[in-house]
Amino acid sequence: MSQPDELAELLRRANAGDGPAFAQFLRRITPAIRTVIRAKGSSLPEHQHEDILQEVLLAIHLKRGSWKEGTPVKPWVYAITRYKVVDAFRRRGAIIHVPIEPFSETLEDLSAAVPLAGKDAEYMLSHLDGRGAALVRSMTLEGESAEDAGEKVGLSASSARVALHRALKQLARIAERTKN
Amino acid sequence: MTTPEDTDAFIASLAARPTPEPLDLPRAAGWIGGAFAVGLGAVLGALGIRPDLGAALQDPVTLAKNALPLLLACLALPIAFLTTRPERDGPVWPLIVPVALAAGLFLLQAVNTAPTNFLPELMGQTAGACLISITAISALPLVVGIRTLRQGATTRPIRSGALLGLAIGALAAAGYALHCDEDAPLFYVTWYGIGILISTGIGALAGHKYLRW
Repeated sequence: MSQPDELAELLRRANAGDGPAFAQFLRRITPAIRTVIRAKGSSLPEHQHEDILQEVLLAIHLKRGSWKEGTPVKPWVYAITRYKVVDAFRRRGAIIHVPIEPFSETLEDLSAAVPLAGKDAEYMLSHLDGRGAALVRSMTLEGESAEDAGEKVGLSASSARVALHRALKQLARIAERTKN
Repeated sequence: MTTPEDTDAFIASLAARPTPEPLDLPRAAGWIGGAFAVGLGAVLGALGIRPDLGAALQDPVTLAKNALPLLLACLALPIAFLTTRPERDGPVWPLIVPVALAAGLFLLQAVNTAPTNFLPELMGQTAGACLISITAISALPLVVGIRTLRQGATTRPIRSGALLGLAIGALAAAGYALHCDEDAPLFYVTWYGIGILISTGIGALAGHKYLRW
């Protein structure tokens, strides 16, 4: 029996209520799903790939009734995988995750570290005018109030908020440029 | 941090769960049909069936007012159902047939109508009632249809919702034609078409919101 037929047979038995057959089916398709995730996954850290894999496997379980007996299994698995992987990446896309475990020994003194991704933030701030950069640093990074931060650069609280808003928009443009 | 060993345990736990109930398409069609009957019954109960229905349907152009939307619905619903399988897109080219026939009827009357009569024929007398009725008849079957399709696994939720809305809107138009006595294609192709498009749009929005998984 060729491999696709074996997969179809496993899924057919699984949908008829055979739990061990379903476990075997999932283990058989897992490597292929890992490959898809890795191929798409360059923008996400690898430690999340396993989470996404589990989301795909859960979806395959929940939607396994949508496979029609007698039709090829692989396109069905691939369609679900693509759908869930795209979805998972979209939801995580905006957030940058850095695993903390490897650094837990060296990250004793968090307060001494520059907040945000140090170098990049400093690099981008260097492209702002002095007042904008100072406002971003004090209000966004150090959490000062608009009153306090504004006073330092000679602005009222509301003007400081407006200037901060402009500076953040400019930062977003710079980030967009440096990404490309 | 999730490891491959966790995934292996996760697979075992998935395999131990009961098999989920699959989407039963004939039953889904039954539910949608039932909801359509309720919606149509309510609207026709309020507006009544045209008294000359039997005689009117002798005219093929009037018959087309019922038959073309019915054909559209019968083509669109199976395509909407097909999209509940993740690997299937649902080809929409068969829908061209009723759409082209309707466009043909529209053009045929358009070229045979004096320019001064064109707009009055097109606007008719009951356009507002037509749009409201088609949308009202569609509402319940759309809710039921979206609910049943949630059990499916479409990978194109907007497309699935739109196809469902198209099928149900067309069904509603075919039903409303039992009441409507404006038989000019300029009128009914235009306003039934817009009514069906409203239902299609609602279906697309509902699909975007409720058919994702």
